[in-house]
Order: sequence, then structure tokens, then C-alpha cells
Amino acid sequence: MAFERFTKDARATVMAARAEALAAGHATIEAEHLLLALSERPDLQALGLDREQLSYALAAEEERSLAAVGVAASGPDEPIGSRRPRDPQFATSAKLALHRAVSAAAKRGDRRLDARHVLLGVLGAQHGRVPRALQIAEIDVDALRARI
Amino acid sequence: MVDKRMQLTPPTLPEDPADALAAVGALRRLADQVEDAAVERALHDGWSWTDVAEALGVTRQAVHKKHARRLRGTGVGLRRGAR
Repeated sequence: MAFERFTKDARATVMAARAEALAAGHATIEAEHLLLALSERPDLQALGLDREQLSYALAAEEERSLAAVGVAASGPDEPIGSRRPRDPQFATSAKLALHRAVSAAAKRGDRRLDARHVLLGVLGAQHGRVPRALQIAEIDVDALRARI
Repeated sequence: MVDKRMQLTPPTLPEDPADALAAVGALRRLADQVEDAAVERALHDGWSWTDVAEALGVTRQAVHKKHARRLRGTGVGLRRGAR
């Protein structure tokens, strides 16, 4: 990947996504962690990204997906996870999002890849937790993309 | 009233493939979190890596590779040769 073309902001987002996965106790860094990291940026919050809304939507997606096979998710009051996280590795959903970010930058003729391109890459997913959570939160992805 | 989740019947496969596949991912994440907590607890309670591996149905090398670094410095897992 053309990582050297990532701006300081884009690199910081990738590092923040790793911190998100670590804090959540997840074994892998996924597109959802990129999205949460992006939602911490004031410039993207100004476009309508809302951290609290996204966290809630992702939790709701998890609960709904588990409920569909008869598993009741544990509430936030009874954490099941270990206090000692693993070193999370980049998983396919995050890699695909970054690949789409590179494509988005190329398509726009932008030489550098910044946080907005990463957001475009994350929003470009057709399947997986991110589009499902966005749908639950009733976020108009097309309108959001148009503002980027 | 019997809790439906406690019955030993297989879960219904969700109608929509997107829901079914999402459930697989959610179950894997849940299993990962349970495994992390369970391995940590077992080692803390004095189980050896070999015992943990047998209980999980994986090789000792596999469980050690997955968890040793994470749990380093907690006083567990230092008895490499322990049975």
C-alpha cells in the first residue's frame, strides 16, 4: 500500500484505530475501529460523524447479530473480556477500507491521502459491521459521502 | 418457564445471509473474548499451559503463542515445562 502518501493525520487515524481495537479487547483491527478513530476528529465531526451514536450503533449491531442465532449479549455492566488485551493485527475489513481510501484519493487526483479519504474508504464497505451499524443508526451514507 | 437459550437445540439459521454471516463474526468475537478471560483465569488458578491446551482442544504451542505475550508479567505461564 502507498503508505508513504498518507498524511500525518491519516497515519494518526490508523494508529488510533489500533488503540480502539486494543481498548475494546478485540484481537483484530477492523473497519469499525477506523470509523471510531475518525469520529474523534473535529473536522469529521463537523461533517456529521458522532462518536456516541456510532458506538451505540455498533453495540446494537453486535447484540442484534448474536440475538439472530439465539445468543444474548452480555450487557455493559458485566464485561466478559480479559483485562489484558492482545496485540491486535490488521484484519481484512480494515485493509479493504484502506485500499478503497487509496482508490478514492487516486480517483480524485489527490496526491496525498488524508483522513477524509480513509473515511470514504470505510464508508465504501458493502458488507460487514460498519454498513450494518450505519443502517441501524439510520445514517444517510450517500449524504455523508457527498459532504466529504 | 424454561429459558429458550438453555435448550439443546441448534440455533435457527437467520433467513438473510447477511444476518447469518454477521452472526458468525459476532460469535467469533465473543468466543475470542471468552477465551482470553478463561485462559487468564485458568493460568491464574494454577493450570499449566498443557492443561489449558487440552481443555481447549488445541496444542500447547498454539495456546502459548496466542496468549503468552499478552499475559507476560502477570506471574502466570512461567512454568514452561509444567504439566
